[in-house]
Amino acid sequence: MKKVLGRIYILIIMLFLYLPIFALIVLSFNESKSMSVWGGFSLRWYQELFRSRIMMGAIANTFSIAILAALIATIVGTMAVLGMAAMKPRAQNVLLGLNNIPMLNADIVTGIALMLFFLMVRAPRGYMTILFSHATFCIPYVILSVRPRVNKNTDRLFEAALDLGASERYAFRKIVLPELRPGIMSGFLLSFTMSVDDFIITYFTRGAGINTISTLIYSEVKVGIRPSLFALSTIIFVVALVVLLTVNYRRDKAEKIRSAKPAL
Amino acid sequence: MGELIRLEGIVKSFEDTVVLNGIDLSVDENEFVTLLGPSGCGKTTTLRIIAGFEKPDEGRVYFEGKDITDMPANQRPVNTVFQNYALFPHMTVGENIAFSLRVKNRPESEIKKKVANALKLVNLKGFENRRIDRLSGGQQQRIAMARAIVNEPRVLLLDEPLGALDLKLRQEMEYELVRLKKELGITFIYITHDQEEALTMSDKVVVMNEGYIQQEGTPQQIYDEPVNAFVADFIGDSNILSGQMVDEKVVRIDGIDYPCIDGREEGFPPRRRVDVVIRPEDIDIVPYGEGLWNGTIISKLFIGVHYEMLVQSEHGKVEWLLQNYDQHDVGEKIGMYVDPENIQIMHKPKSEAEHAIELDL
Repeated sequence: MKKVLGRIYILIIMLFLYLPIFALIVLSFNESKSMSVWGGFSLRWYQELFRSRIMMGAIANTFSIAILAALIATIVGTMAVLGMAAMKPRAQNVLLGLNNIPMLNADIVTGIALMLFFLMVRAPRGYMTILFSHATFCIPYVILSVRPRVNKNTDRLFEAALDLGASERYAFRKIVLPELRPGIMSGFLLSFTMSVDDFIITYFTRGAGINTISTLIYSEVKVGIRPSLFALSTIIFVVALVVLLTVNYRRDKAEKIRSAKPAL
Repeated sequence: MGELIRLEGIVKSFEDTVVLNGIDLSVDENEFVTLLGPSGCGKTTTLRIIAGFEKPDEGRVYFEGKDITDMPANQRPVNTVFQNYALFPHMTVGENIAFSLRVKNRPESEIKKKVANALKLVNLKGFENRRIDRLSGGQQQRIAMARAIVNEPRVLLLDEPLGALDLKLRQEMEYELVRLKKELGITFIYITHDQEEALTMSDKVVVMNEGYIQQEGTPQQIYDEPVNAFVADFIGDSNILSGQMVDEKVVRIDGIDYPCIDGREEGFPPRRRVDVVIRPEDIDIVPYGEGLWNGTIISKLFIGVHYEMLVQSEHGKVEWLLQNYDQHDVGEKIGMYVDPENIQIMHKPKSEAEHAIELDL
């Protein structure tokens, strides 16, 4: 009995989570523009999506900004971590504390602050200001994910490499960097997701005439959402799902191969 | 066998703590030297200075008479086996060992041969493609050795390399290390806090405490003739007692006069207060009244090869630690005898620092 109740509970959770997305997917294939009338299966909205220059532009902006911002944040954040590692513990703690503030800070505050900053320095708001803002709010996440990888152990490995005759540059490239790679990768992916996900900060720091997916949807809400946005959402959802499944599948496979090797 | 490494007046502090207090040390070519001491005695810092990871505040480091104090670690002809091995986790065993050769851009064919050779030396033939995290502690230890010796360093520094292994494996590795040393014909500088390791393997033992070298000598000398109470206590079990010279070559301990072999010539004139070490296995049990002094056995422990007993002296307050192959019962009254040459007379610590050490015991 308990088991059955548990299953029902999970089913309800899943329904609440995925039913809206499922409805959206179904509607994206609806010939009719109405959300309540099924006009038959059609790819009409997908065609409209790929023909719309506004939408394609927003998609290009969203992903190019996400990739660039994540790249910049990853490089700056990783360098910050390495710099901090050489500091005294007290200075490190102060910096880490400061690093936490932007993450706890409400997005709207960050957004308005950045907007005011751009107004103050008279930076023309547009693609570059969005990119700059995104890189800025991503850096703390990179620091947070890379920092745990820099520890006594990396110091020891670095010393071992020097001991074996490596130059500091070679030791860093061949030994330290591979040790940091998982942290750097997760920092990059986290930044990328945060950037794609962001609406508020983008909204305040973008100029007129430039849209990302989130700001485009927001502006369309006012005039009535077109089903081509459902099509876009569906594509994004499917891509994310496929990526997630392959990553998990490959990890499972790697685990299996690893555990299949006899331990000696 | 000439001198290979010499440390002169090495002083080193971290923040406000003085770690090394003027270390002078000479290591000969092909010697197995062990730095022995409790944790915090400065032995690891000494090793790191030789390796080039730390710069001394004062003093110089010489290699074959050349001053290498300012030479960076990656140019020194020494390699280190680190305490936690510090194997590169993202590389295979083969890549780990090949690292120093790849740094030097040696041809791949030579690398392959040398790696295979090094693996053979440490009895792990054919392990080239294993992953580091699939190895046991003992295997990782051997790989760390192989990685350090593949480049044929003049000196191998070993920082408590056996510390993480269990007893049986440790004893096995002790033999392995001595064998390796013989086959390689290079100098070993070995760090440990384990006196047994130090005594078994070394040509020379350097006992350190509180940033000072307490005593330097062969394992035999260190064991038989400790220069002070710290060394005596650190190396093996011992009865360390306060005494006073009462006559030429006679020392009074706990109210009893013992003939010994140290006198004025050795720097122990009558009336001088001294520390005395008598090893528990050097005290013979004789029938009551027939020895130098008498006592009652107050406890007895069987520890494998022999019995360990505590004996309350009936002349004074001292409890003596005895080790004997024969069994005696608790409560039994016995006589005790010790050969004059087994009584080791030592100077009382002079400085405050040395005094503090003694209080610590």
